[in-house]
Formats: sequence, C-alpha cells, structure tokens
Amino acid sequence: MQIAVLYGTETGNAEMLAEDIASHLSDHDTSVTNLSDFDPAAFDRETFYIVVTSTYGDGELPASAQPFAAAMDKARPNLSGVRFAIFGMGDSEYPETFNFGGKRLEEILTGAGAERVGERVTHDASGGDMADDLALPWIDAILSTVDA
Amino acid sequence: MPQIAIVGAGPSGCFTAQALAKLLPEARIDILDALPVPYGLIRYGVAPDHQGTKTVIRQFERLFERQGVGFFGDVRLGETVTLDALQGLYDAVVLATGLSADRRLGVKGDDLPGVLGSGAVTRAFNDYPDTAPVSIGEQVVIVGNGNVAVDLVRLLAKGAGEFHGSDLSEAAAGQCGRVRRIDVVGRSPSDQAKFDPVMIRELGRLEQAAIHVHGLSGEGKVVEALEHLQGHAPDGATREIHFHFGWTPEEIEGQAHVTAARFRQGDARLVLPCDTVLTAIGFEGTTPGADAEGNIGPGLYATGWLKRGPRGTIPENRADAQAVAARIAADLATVPAGKPGRDGLLDLVPQAVHYAQWQNIDAAERADCPEGRVRQKIATKARMLAIAQQTGES
Repeated sequence: MQIAVLYGTETGNAEMLAEDIASHLSDHDTSVTNLSDFDPAAFDRETFYIVVTSTYGDGELPASAQPFAAAMDKARPNLSGVRFAIFGMGDSEYPETFNFGGKRLEEILTGAGAERVGERVTHDASGGDMADDLALPWIDAILSTVDA
Repeated sequence: MPQIAIVGAGPSGCFTAQALAKLLPEARIDILDALPVPYGLIRYGVAPDHQGTKTVIRQFERLFERQGVGFFGDVRLGETVTLDALQGLYDAVVLATGLSADRRLGVKGDDLPGVLGSGAVTRAFNDYPDTAPVSIGEQVVIVGNGNVAVDLVRLLAKGAGEFHGSDLSEAAAGQCGRVRRIDVVGRSPSDQAKFDPVMIRELGRLEQAAIHVHGLSGEGKVVEALEHLQGHAPDGATREIHFHFGWTPEEIEGQAHVTAARFRQGDARLVLPCDTVLTAIGFEGTTPGADAEGNIGPGLYATGWLKRGPRGTIPENRADAQAVAARIAADLATVPAGKPGRDGLLDLVPQAVHYAQWQNIDAAERADCPEGRVRQKIATKARMLAIAQQTGES
C-alpha cells in the first residue's frame, strides 16, 4: 500500500515525528512531504494519508500547514474516496487550544469529502510521553484495519 | 568531507546543524558551547514552567545521538579557542552565540540597586551556572510589552503549588515568591503591545493573582485577550497584577535603592511606588555584520540573533537557520577537502565536555529532582565538570 505522510510544522517537532512514522512504516511504499510543498490536486485515492500537525500560537495551524489550508480553500478539490489518519500535537499548558491544529486540518479534509480512519489523537508536549510512543502503536492499529 | 564548526549550542546553532545535516549528509558537524551543557536559550531562557516549549530539545538530541554531530562544551570562543584556530581547522565556522545583554532603560536612576534586567532575572530563575541570586521585593514594576515581560509576571505571580511539572528550583522559587503587587507598564498603546495573545490568556489561569487592566484602547487579538483578563479574581488572591499602557519611562526614583518608577503620557504622570524594577525591553550586543544569508566573510557565518538582531521567536529563527544552512551548503560545494576538523579540535581542547558526559549530567539532573519537578539543574559549572569528569573515566 502506498502511504504518504504529510506534516505541518512550526518548530520541527511534527516534522521529526512524521519522519519517524515513515521509517517505522518502511515495509510500505512511504513518502514524507511537508504540507507547504503539497498540492491539493495531488491527492490520490490509492494512497493512504497520514497527517501529522502541531498547533501553534493562538490555536492556529503551524506555518507550514497554512499555505496548504489556503490552497484547499481556493482549489476546493473533491476528496471523496481519499482516506487519511490524523495525529495532532499540542501543549496542555494551553488547554483552550490544545488540539486545534489537528482538529482544523481534519475539518478541512473531511469538509472536502475525505474519510478519516481511526481516532484523531493529540500528543501533549507537556505530558510525560514521547510522541513516538503514542504515534507508532496508533498508526499500527489503524493500518491493521485498512485494506491493502 | 566538509568540516563545519558551529559556535553556540542554543536553538539557532542546533537548527543550523540540523539543516546542514540534511543538506550535506557527508559533512562532519561539531557544535561548541561556552557552557559545559548544550541548548542555550532553550535551557536557560525559556521559562521553567514552559516545558512543552523545551521539547524541541528532542530534535537536537537526535543530532548528537544518531546523526553524528559532535558536542564540545566548556569551550569559550576567544578564551579556550580562538576564531583563527577554528577557521584553520574547519571549512566553515558558524557563529551562533546569540545576544544576551539586557537593553537598559536609558533614564535617570536605571542603574539604582533594585533595577534588574530581564535576562539576568531569567538566568537566575533558570539556574544559569554560577549566577548570583536576584533579590525581588514585594512591589515590582515590570517595564516592557512583550512575552519576556509576561514570563516574568507569570513566574512572579504563581504560588508555590503552581509549578508542578516545571524545573523551577527551590532556590529560584525562593527568589520569586515574595511578590505582592506587580505593575506591568508598556510604552505602546494596548493594541500595539507585542504580547502573544495565548500567553496573556495563560495569565487567566493564575490561582493566586487578581488582575486589573488599565487604559485599554484599540482592538485586535491582544486587546481581546487583555479584556478577558480584566477582573480575574480568584478566591483568596494574595497578589495583584496591574497592566498599564501608553506610558513612557521618565525616571527611576530612589537614593540607595529604588523607591518608585515614574512614567509620563503627554502631561500626565504615573508614579508607582516599588522596591524592584525589572526591565524587559529587549536585548542588545555587537553583531558581526552578516549579510542576509548569514555570510560574514570567507568561511565565516552568523545565525540566529547574532545574525538578525534580537528579534524573532524560536520557529522564526529556525526558518532563518535553514536559509543560512542553504548558503553554507552552496559555498562548500566549491571548497577543496582536507581540513582536519574534529581531530584537530580534540588536540586543541582536550578538556572539552563531550556529549556522553553531558548525558550523565542530564541523567543526574533528572534523577535527583524533588517531587513535582522534572529536573533539578546543576547550578554550578564546577559541579557540572565534576560529574562530567567522573563519567569520563568510566
């Protein structure tokens, strides 16, 4: 199965996690792309997408996801049949906006007709867990339910 | 194989190394720091109760642990090693030493005892090695309209129970625990204040501080966040915070010690009795005159605040570091190989603290910390070196 890991990052933490997820899934045909370099016209129904994004500032999308959000808004592609899983990163020091980045990207994708697979999980930078320890079992569980 | 030295293991130095490691996988990259420990501003500038912000360190650990980047601590440029010597050893030398001197108020009385710069206070609260404790009284005036000022407000206004999960030491807590009233005074009107709205909103969770916001004007996200704070009054509050906008500092009053801070706004005057004045109006220092891509001269570069001046957040400096790295990579494409790099450095600074030794300091700090804290920083350089040397022999 083709897997594309797309990430939105501001400090690089989400980029590192995206790379870790891709190396964990190296048995598959896996690519890693910054959302700032991803064209919404490139979504493909044969590819499974794993979206990793942080939350920044006052609950905004991180800098590298903002051009993607703008491009989605402009292109309004029909993503029906496109499947994705989404993993958010936040900081519980800011409880009001903790999971906003992941939530907003999910809304953008499902709003265009894409289907979310599995639960959206948010890692807490102020918690004790490493993001990898949460994300790798999460994606394994999701992929076990996705048809090859 | 290009040899690259980066001077300064703070965020800009580490992000430059990260970008270089991606662009030039064959390059050998060494990061030097004047302290025995890495991470600079992340460790000593980011507030002790903002551990989430400090998690970028996990990216940097990967550089040293998996990507072959070298760490050489306790190496001070100009003392332990000269710039000429480094340039002789490396194809590219990148200066990432930051700017840490507090900008002074520039008014009468700004040198009175009781007037402290935010950098000095932040270092003391973060257990910067061998820093003298700062003396903060009960009535504090903070001059400044940015996030550094908000960090100080929050650290001074939190009660002892509000530091769970931080790495604030007992010594630092003792320095910031006596405050009863904080006045935060900014020169700009509220709609031009440089606060991050999210950090203003964070103050709305203070458990022991009542908050009063005076002189709000204009609109925007910061003003909305400040409006939201106005009237925050937890039961049994033991401290007060007052925000004032549009006041220009005129004089710090006092004979042997600060007694008041005076501000003006047109013909109006604001006189705030106080025993401590903290200035959070930015940083300064000499910059080496790098161009937009960070180049200073042949084989010499600057990155981060030393390049751009004391502006911009950690992510902004990351983006800038990536641009500097791209320039270095382009320049190194035409440089003949053959400089000794790390081997030569090891001869010059045999006493340098290596990454494995830092890992032992790190482990000691994590193992030996009180309940409710994630770390107890080693507070003296001598103790850091002692731990480093013990492990060096094993």
